[in-house]
Amino acid sequence: MSLRIIVFFLIGLLIFILDVAFNSEQDSKDIYISDQELTSLLSAWQSQVGRPPNDEEIVNIINNFVQEEILYREALLLNLDEEDRIIKRRLAQKITFLKQETVPEDPSQEELKGFFEQNKDNYYVPATYSFSHHYFSKESSAKERATKAFYDYQTNGVELKGDPFFLGKNFYQNSANEIKKNFGELFFSTIKNLSINEWSGPHESTFGYHIIILKEVKTGFSPPLEKVLIKVQQDFLSQAQDKAIAKYINEIRSQYRVIINPDYKF
Amino acid sequence: MKLSKSSIGLIIVSFVFYLYATDSFSIFQRDSALEIVDFSIENSTVNVDIPSNPYRNPYYGDLHVHTKYSFDAYIFGVTATPYDAYRFATGEAVKHPLGFDMQLKEPLDFYAVTDHGFYMGMIENYADTSSKMSKNEWTKPIHNINRPENVTVASTGERADLFSSVLSREIINKPYPWWHPNFLGAWLTNNIQLALTSFDYDVHKSAWADVAKAAEEFNDPGNFTTFIGYEYTTSTEVEGGNLHRNVIFNSSNAPIRPWTRIDSLNPEDLWTWMDSLRDNGVDSLAMPHNSNGSNGQMFEVETFRGNPISKEYSEKRMRNEPVVEMTQVKGTSDTHPLLSPDDEWADFEIMDKRVGSRPPTYSMPQGGYVRDAFLRGLTLEWEGRGNPYKFGLIGSSDTHTGAGAFDENNYWSKVGVLDGTDMGRGSVPLSQDRIDQLTQYSIDFNQPVSTKEIEGKTYADVGFDQWGASGLAVAWAEENTRDSIFQAFKRKETFATTGTRIAVRFFAGFDMKSIDLNSEDMVKNAYAKGVTMGADLFSQANQTPQFLVWAQRDKLGAPLQRVQIIKGWVETASGTPKEKIYDVACSDGFAADPVTNRCPDNGARVNINDCSISNGVGAGELKTTWEDPDFDPTVKAFYYVRVLENPTCRWSTWDALKAGVKPRPDLHKTIQERAWSSPIWYIPDSSDLEIIPL
Repeated sequence: MSLRIIVFFLIGLLIFILDVAFNSEQDSKDIYISDQELTSLLSAWQSQVGRPPNDEEIVNIINNFVQEEILYREALLLNLDEEDRIIKRRLAQKITFLKQETVPEDPSQEELKGFFEQNKDNYYVPATYSFSHHYFSKESSAKERATKAFYDYQTNGVELKGDPFFLGKNFYQNSANEIKKNFGELFFSTIKNLSINEWSGPHESTFGYHIIILKEVKTGFSPPLEKVLIKVQQDFLSQAQDKAIAKYINEIRSQYRVIINPDYKF
Repeated sequence: MKLSKSSIGLIIVSFVFYLYATDSFSIFQRDSALEIVDFSIENSTVNVDIPSNPYRNPYYGDLHVHTKYSFDAYIFGVTATPYDAYRFATGEAVKHPLGFDMQLKEPLDFYAVTDHGFYMGMIENYADTSSKMSKNEWTKPIHNINRPENVTVASTGERADLFSSVLSREIINKPYPWWHPNFLGAWLTNNIQLALTSFDYDVHKSAWADVAKAAEEFNDPGNFTTFIGYEYTTSTEVEGGNLHRNVIFNSSNAPIRPWTRIDSLNPEDLWTWMDSLRDNGVDSLAMPHNSNGSNGQMFEVETFRGNPISKEYSEKRMRNEPVVEMTQVKGTSDTHPLLSPDDEWADFEIMDKRVGSRPPTYSMPQGGYVRDAFLRGLTLEWEGRGNPYKFGLIGSSDTHTGAGAFDENNYWSKVGVLDGTDMGRGSVPLSQDRIDQLTQYSIDFNQPVSTKEIEGKTYADVGFDQWGASGLAVAWAEENTRDSIFQAFKRKETFATTGTRIAVRFFAGFDMKSIDLNSEDMVKNAYAKGVTMGADLFSQANQTPQFLVWAQRDKLGAPLQRVQIIKGWVETASGTPKEKIYDVACSDGFAADPVTNRCPDNGARVNINDCSISNGVGAGELKTTWEDPDFDPTVKAFYYVRVLENPTCRWSTWDALKAGVKPRPDLHKTIQERAWSSPIWYIPDSSDLEIIPL
């Protein structure tokens, strides 16, 4: 009876001694760099710099890798990885990426279409205005000069001629914001109500008076799916990835129990 | 057992590295600050043609914006992110730390978040009690400082003290022991901050990556431009002279970390780093600011180390620092009344304290203002040392809330909780509890008396009364894209404004008078016949140069009062610097007096009781050609334009009006908003010519 215990004890001791003898160098000091690792290091370098590294640079790359590995292992030996919030976050991030990649790469035409219809506002192209103007500077009886010039043009066909405007005469496909920025709100509210290809005026702005011809209005529109397909695809994918993560967490969350001290004073 | 084993291992490893290092240094040490990262994100906007104007448009922006990642901004109660900052610039309303909305009247064309590179992101990390750093005893005063219930006006004193004390030398400079992996890593990667116990490189890098990502996300070619950037916050070692500079990068490629004052306090080392980045395909430029608070050190006639300035120094400085931010919230650095006694407009938003000094300390004006710097540059060149001060001009805000305050009538200054109220800014008499708080602050933190009695009322006296609602950077560029605007800065085809959207064109040549100012082709002809702001005008057979200037008012601001040309030169025989100011265009049909060179009073006034301004006086635009009446063809000179608006209420007057009290009697009640062009330099003899490569 007691002999058996002693035998078991001796066997255990033997195993322990053997373990100490053969496995004491658990943290081996070999740094093995595989062929794949080398290839990926070098090609990463090349993709960033745009040419293959020379000999000295290769030495550098490998040394950097070695240094990182050494610091990493030494840090592990000091148990610096334990309870480290950044490492936790990084691991959480990694599994997030992993789960994101499980999303099917190519959504079907139907899926894209549905997504596009739902989010049409995100792809709206705002209206633009193309126009020219003759400007009458506030400095010298602008309104009278503008009125006369426009009258002469309408009745006698005299060529319109004003003062040079700081930002020029012709404006091509300006958005509402650009017009407001360059001329002010008042001018924009005038422009958007003008009829096409017809001189009119004088219209007031902070800078003086303008005789304006509106040449083209491109009304704002929702482009067809084909025009914005790439963007829609990307947006769809990023939404699908968010959904995949949420789903994954929801599934797995029920297996966890969260315990917080109920007496904790927030 | 395990621990000591690994430390022995480390000792051996570091010794081996040391041995190797002594004879083949470069193989083992690499420079982490030269590691370049492509921060671009896939921005798949619908491709449209970006309209391009060969005669260039003025684009308005701010290149000096801090968010929560800046060590001081976080202490000031700011939690706005770089994304919030860009949202503000594109016209959205964002929240001030004290809860009110900040919103622009008009969106900006470009914007750059430039958080302090030094300890970027760290303070937020100290405040977060779940972080590793927050376990340190000394982070305790910072814990949770920006939880909503802690962001209060009453916390002002503590925050002001944290700002000046927490990052004191004892904490920041405490390194790890020599055997620690971080110590070795710091040396191996030439990254000193790694060796500091108060520093977490991962936190720092991710803050910087987030700044870059926000810039990339909001950059919208043709509509809105952003730059990846940061502030290099250095100062002179002894008297704390401010040598701050903002650095912006020209593309999505930027270094993996900002190069900071921990790397070196010497701006010449910053330029060396920027030169190396440029060799690796990443162009950048640095923009000094608050020269007014540099105690004369920003535009010194010697180098940081006290050596004489050399041609190499001048070239290196101009290669990296083509423009200077000469106006911002912390004062305007055009000139000082002591430097320009004959300039009636010199006393404008003068901030005469060294930046961040506690207690507030006087800053010497000589060497701290751009007009003086231009003159010093000419003098240095006259001595054969090259011209290190041949820069263009921009403004920016330096806001620390993510949102620039450019408007006198809607002003929140810039340091969050500290100056977010009229009482805190010193424009409105203090209530009794605020007096008590400030008194307690002086006692608790051993500060000088921080209140001031004026005509029986008590005001805060911590220096914010010298700050102002300024300024903007304006670039003449073909299109609103990163590249086009960056090139404008390199050409110095820029001007600065005090927050107003004045626009100004400025050309010089020998045949400008022949251009018809009423012709549609005026600008085209001016480009063809001369040079524009920021450029050199080379002598042509000793002819007198002619200038063309055209200014347009801000449609939402006050009309224009006058346009001036400021000339500076150095007398050849004596080397004496000289300056002279000419009014070249007057509003309301007036002409400048040929003897005094001044426009007559146009009669524009401000009603202090309601801040209304005279109707019907002032100009919507002013344009003219001008010939220098005192020209000497053999003398180097610079010319720059100053455009002045009619007077309007200063922010402090608006504050008082809104609070229903009288404006503080010792402050300027009105100001004249203004714009300054970059200079044009006249170069007399081509044999004397020095081309400074950019």
